[in-house]
Amino acid sequence: MAGLDLSILPQQLVNGLLLGSIYALIALGYTMVYGVLRLINFAHGEVFMLGAYAALFTSWALGFGPESRGQPPQSSALYLVIMLLVSMGACALIGALIELLAYRPMRNQPRIASLITAIGVSLFIQYAGGLFLPQSPPPAISEAVSPYRGVMTAVLKPPPADLAATIDEIRAREQAAKSLAEAAKAENKPEAKGLEEEYRSIQRDLRAKVGEADSQTVRITVPHGQLIMLVTTLVLMAVLRHIVLKTKTGRAMRAVSHDFDSAALMGVNVGRVVTLTFIIGSALAGAGAMMYATVLRTPLSPFLGVTPGIKAFVAAVLGGIGNIPGAVLGGLLMGVVETLVVWAGFSGFKDAVAFVVLIIVLLFRPGGLLGSSKVEKV
Amino acid sequence: MKFWVVRLVSLAVAFGFAFGADAWIAGSMPSAYRLAVLAGLFVTLAVSLNLINGITGQFSIGHAAFYMVGAYTTGFVSNQFYAQQPLGQPMWLIAMALLGAAASAVAGLVVGLPSLRLRGDYLAIVTLGFGEILRIVTQNISQIGGSYGMNVKPFGGPVQTLWVVLLLAFLCVSICRNLLKTAHGLPFVAVRDDEVASSAMGVRVSSVKVTAFVIGSAFAGAAGAMLAHAETFISPDMFRMDVSFIILTMVVLGGTGSITGSVVAAVVLFGIPEYLRTLQDPITKLPLAVPGQALLGSLVAVGLTVWGLREVSRRVHGNVQNRAVAYGGTLLGGAVVAWLFSVVFGLIPQIAALKFDVNMLRMVIFALTLIVLMLLRPQGIFGHHEFSWRWLGGLLGRRPREATA
Repeated sequence: MAGLDLSILPQQLVNGLLLGSIYALIALGYTMVYGVLRLINFAHGEVFMLGAYAALFTSWALGFGPESRGQPPQSSALYLVIMLLVSMGACALIGALIELLAYRPMRNQPRIASLITAIGVSLFIQYAGGLFLPQSPPPAISEAVSPYRGVMTAVLKPPPADLAATIDEIRAREQAAKSLAEAAKAENKPEAKGLEEEYRSIQRDLRAKVGEADSQTVRITVPHGQLIMLVTTLVLMAVLRHIVLKTKTGRAMRAVSHDFDSAALMGVNVGRVVTLTFIIGSALAGAGAMMYATVLRTPLSPFLGVTPGIKAFVAAVLGGIGNIPGAVLGGLLMGVVETLVVWAGFSGFKDAVAFVVLIIVLLFRPGGLLGSSKVEKV
Repeated sequence: MKFWVVRLVSLAVAFGFAFGADAWIAGSMPSAYRLAVLAGLFVTLAVSLNLINGITGQFSIGHAAFYMVGAYTTGFVSNQFYAQQPLGQPMWLIAMALLGAAASAVAGLVVGLPSLRLRGDYLAIVTLGFGEILRIVTQNISQIGGSYGMNVKPFGGPVQTLWVVLLLAFLCVSICRNLLKTAHGLPFVAVRDDEVASSAMGVRVSSVKVTAFVIGSAFAGAAGAMLAHAETFISPDMFRMDVSFIILTMVVLGGTGSITGSVVAAVVLFGIPEYLRTLQDPITKLPLAVPGQALLGSLVAVGLTVWGLREVSRRVHGNVQNRAVAYGGTLLGGAVVAWLFSVVFGLIPQIAALKFDVNMLRMVIFALTLIVLMLLRPQGIFGHHEFSWRWLGGLLGRRPREATA
């Protein structure tokens, strides 16, 4: 383990949190559906995939089609908002449709039957998507729209003062040598070549020193796009929290999740609550998908949803499935752990570590981190 | 006395069938040989998962991992040691099946001991997780080929494995069936039906669960050993979680707990995609191409027919003829709807221009079959029933004689 570079650790942690916020968004959908129906919605990853495609097609409709690559038309942040909303809307619709067509008829059947239906729906969307949906690079909009450009840098530990001073000194010499060399070249003097070479060698020196200083600086660089992503995620989670805790619908949701049958007896319109849960969960997945495609620039394929889907599901179980804060915590943890594993040089095991963490946690807390493991009563 | 006669005759029939099928398929349709081997392996896998899922009620969805452990262990051993052993090919195959079973049993024990404390969905996700971990670890070990896979060619050419595979399937089926029918199996069923009650009655719940898990894994391992030697090439990609899902689907679709169901569902579900792969256009001899309007039309029709069949099964009661007419009418209506919609869709030029290879469609059809069967028969094809001669007689309209207790 020679290559552990501690100076990029803070950067990796931040990257992990950013990735984790997407996992958390998807995990919320899993956990909410599980909360009300006790059903592992395996098709959730496919809803996510369709959301990414909705974002892609919207970007095409806005004029960022595959043929416009190279000279992007005028664009603004409004386009991003449109894409986000379309993606969320499309996913909400698809989620509700899946619930209506595939899960509702199975409501009174054994849970394993619903689970197999979920697997069937997931396979169906994947392979039917393979027939109709194109393999595509991520939407071109992410390269063109200004809010996504640029980075934000925070320096945690500046380079040592003497090194900085040396750099300043060399930089001054470099400037001087450069102007000398240019002047000589302009006047076609015979020593121009020598001066030019001297300038180059000072430049090389400078680069080496700057590199050295870089490796001793601890800084965090976050592209603006990822900041937008994080803020959007936080806003969506706040909205979700408000819906679940403060509104009548949210209370109905919590009641159904607590006890399905009693809630129905108490006059909660259970069917409506279930549909709403699917709509909200899928819309969150749609938002995650739009950002996954544009900000993280993931190439689109009909099988895009499988890996994030399964990881988000693991995150949901990790936090305690059915528990909303747990899903967020699990998602963030999953993102951080995954990034750290890559940082430590085990990138081949990137996809396995999610499960390792899960198994370790479940062995000690069988109900997940924030979930409660119930003692079974007779 | 009668018991032993029945047993010996069954054994003889099993051996006869295994060797007979091997000779017949190898002789008359060599292209089907590989399919028969794979179908036999899927039967073994489905029945062994049924022992864990259906009979003991432990929700495991990581069966492909044990399949993989068997395949890789025996593949590696075969490559290393086949040249210097005195057994000869058939005995070596059987030895490898045993080795694969042993290796996977150990893996099953390691996975099962900690995770079987968990219940329901948590157990499911942990078994899924173990499966993925094992696969990814295999992917990262370069000595066994890493993600490129490994060649298993100890015999230097194709081998006759079908009879071993069939005997393995028979063994698996008969062990599970005998467990269900004898006192040894009662604790398994008791744990499935009510864990708390059975532990109160003195069943050692944990050891029963682990036993079921280990037996199931062992059979998967033996199947893996046969896969490695029949295919002569294995790679981690052959053991993705989709495979676990498909095995689980076979169990549930056949009817959880029904061995007959698992066998039938394994053959059918394995057969559908393979059959679709071989379909050809009668004229051009190319893989069959399905026009877009036919595909969309039949999608609509399938949806409507399923809805109709569900309505019929809810509303139409009465004698067999009434019901037969209602079901038949719905199916016929479905066919008409399919035709109508394909004509309508055919008028839209964008749709009419689409053509789909049946090869690309086969997984779509597979998934649709899953959904449709689950919607129409959530308890699985066989429910929890088993095949028996009396049941067959009842189906053919003969009234069963009163069983003498």
